[in-house]
Amino acid sequence: MRRTLLGFACVCSLFMAMAAHAADTYVLKFATLAPQGSTWMKAFEAWGKELASSSQGRLVVKFYPGGISGDEPDMLKKIRFGQLQGAALSGHGIGEIFPPARILEAPFLFRDHAEIDAVRARIQPAIDAGFRANQYELLAWMEVGNIHFFSTRPLPSLDDLARRRIWQWQGDRFIDAFFDANGWSPVALPITEVYPALSTGLVDTVVSTPLASIAMQWAGKTPYMSPQPVATGIGAVVVSNKFFASLPADLQALLKRTGAPLSQKLIADTRRDDQKSLAVLARRTQPMVGLQAVDLAEQAALSRKTVAALETRKYLSAELNRQVDAALARHRSGVK
Amino acid sequence: MPLRSLRLTTCASLACALLPLSGCSTSQLVARGASPLIEHGMAAMNRETDLELARASIPANLKMIEALLLADPGNVAYRVQAAIGFHGYALGFVEPGDRVRATALYQRARDHALVALERAGLPQAMLAGDMAALQQALAKLGARAVPALFWAASAWAKWIELQLDDPARLDELPRVELLMQRVLALDETYYHGGAHVFFGVYYGGRAPMFGGDFARAARHFDRAAEIGQGRLLMGEVYRARYLLRQTGDRTAFHATLQRVLDAPPAGDPELNLANALARQEAAVLLNQEEDLF
Repeated sequence: MRRTLLGFACVCSLFMAMAAHAADTYVLKFATLAPQGSTWMKAFEAWGKELASSSQGRLVVKFYPGGISGDEPDMLKKIRFGQLQGAALSGHGIGEIFPPARILEAPFLFRDHAEIDAVRARIQPAIDAGFRANQYELLAWMEVGNIHFFSTRPLPSLDDLARRRIWQWQGDRFIDAFFDANGWSPVALPITEVYPALSTGLVDTVVSTPLASIAMQWAGKTPYMSPQPVATGIGAVVVSNKFFASLPADLQALLKRTGAPLSQKLIADTRRDDQKSLAVLARRTQPMVGLQAVDLAEQAALSRKTVAALETRKYLSAELNRQVDAALARHRSGVK
Repeated sequence: MPLRSLRLTTCASLACALLPLSGCSTSQLVARGASPLIEHGMAAMNRETDLELARASIPANLKMIEALLLADPGNVAYRVQAAIGFHGYALGFVEPGDRVRATALYQRARDHALVALERAGLPQAMLAGDMAALQQALAKLGARAVPALFWAASAWAKWIELQLDDPARLDELPRVELLMQRVLALDETYYHGGAHVFFGVYYGGRAPMFGGDFARAARHFDRAAEIGQGRLLMGEVYRARYLLRQTGDRTAFHATLQRVLDAPPAGDPELNLANALARQEAAVLLNQEEDLF
């Protein structure tokens, strides 16, 4: 009888130990549009391995690459329903979480990456807080690349853009405001319909990064490209607050600690890929002449008017934009 | 017939037989004489059921073909056999454990096929040039070019797939698509409907925003199964790996791979090796199911 009880107790302790072990394992289901084997996925997989090894297997990332979980609005919906816990997003998705962060991709606001880096370093705490207040923990900032115009036809002058059918990501209030301010006529479509729309002529001009243009095979239909970027597209690696809060303190710290180097790698890799993509496109695209000698001061002023309008609509934040202006002025004056 | 006449007749026959080869060197003649041996070697390899034996012996066969190509560089049959061999070896035995080495082997397979394609009338310079010109040049190719087209496109696509972090490779994908479209137009039944499997992967392995089209992919996989009468199992493995994974259909993914594992022998011994590799990959994917969905 004693042996039976002892055996029962041993089995119970073993079972309890197993249950405790199982409860200690956290699975982060993470979605991205980046395909398997792409630069981003390689960086994410290395990050996932680091999380698993540094946590002794207690924090495991399960990846859903290549749009398996749908586009960005789908991913965010799945995060809300608890089917996913994290995602890599572009400005389109960020606009659903904390739209004011999109000031960093306002057209003609920054002259180069150094300005973006300097300003973002100053406002990062405000962006982190903005994500947190909207149910997300921002782990790593990224960029999706420099944004250019691509067109099926030459563009003799800037005014001709008003007569172009320019694709605009359906439901993107930020881009819509800039198109509106410039008097451009957007053709609002889901991103999945851009390729056929370029074939039929429904759309003749798109805004995109060089890499995305190649990856989505739009480049084959758009032999004309703006020589200068109009902005640098933003991106973010996020997890839901609910998931983050469910983690023990050491795993929360691990996620935050690994976010900074992941961010640096993603930004550096994206900038490198941007240059490589431009080199590929340079071999077979012609410049859009009308965008070759843009009056940057004039465009920046127009951009600021749009930013002000978006502040009025509460899409952008006047306070955050003031911080951006101050940081930019500080950087341009050479003050460290 | 007197002996002398016999000898003369024999000499005359030999002379006639050698006449078309009069431009050939001795080493080319020797290389071409090995053709039946190489063909039988390929057939024996295709019939192999022991994967370890195949893994160990394929490299020697590939080097034998490359040795013959040193003697006879323009030999189209050997070029295509080298392309098939390097592609198959990389796919079945190298890529699962060493993607960097597999990348180089796919490139080698493609380069062999491109030489054969050049002999069929498609200069290599066309492949890097204007897309419209490439399309016109492809339109002039006849059924004779199908093997070189199919293996060049297959190896090129794998070469790109393993380098999706390189924009220059991504930019080449539409050219591969054109090559395989020509295969589809010339002979959709080549290699058990292989061009349909290619397009099943092409449209099934990507989200719609990147040009994916799941209904179209399913139609291509179905047509390949119809042409091959379901005997080549790799098509179904690819349906699961690319299309069903991309659409998130776990139930169909599991059932499809289980059917591959349960499939009876094909009846065609030439499919032994390909189907053994398909079963091996099906088992690996089933083991990964929990992580993939």
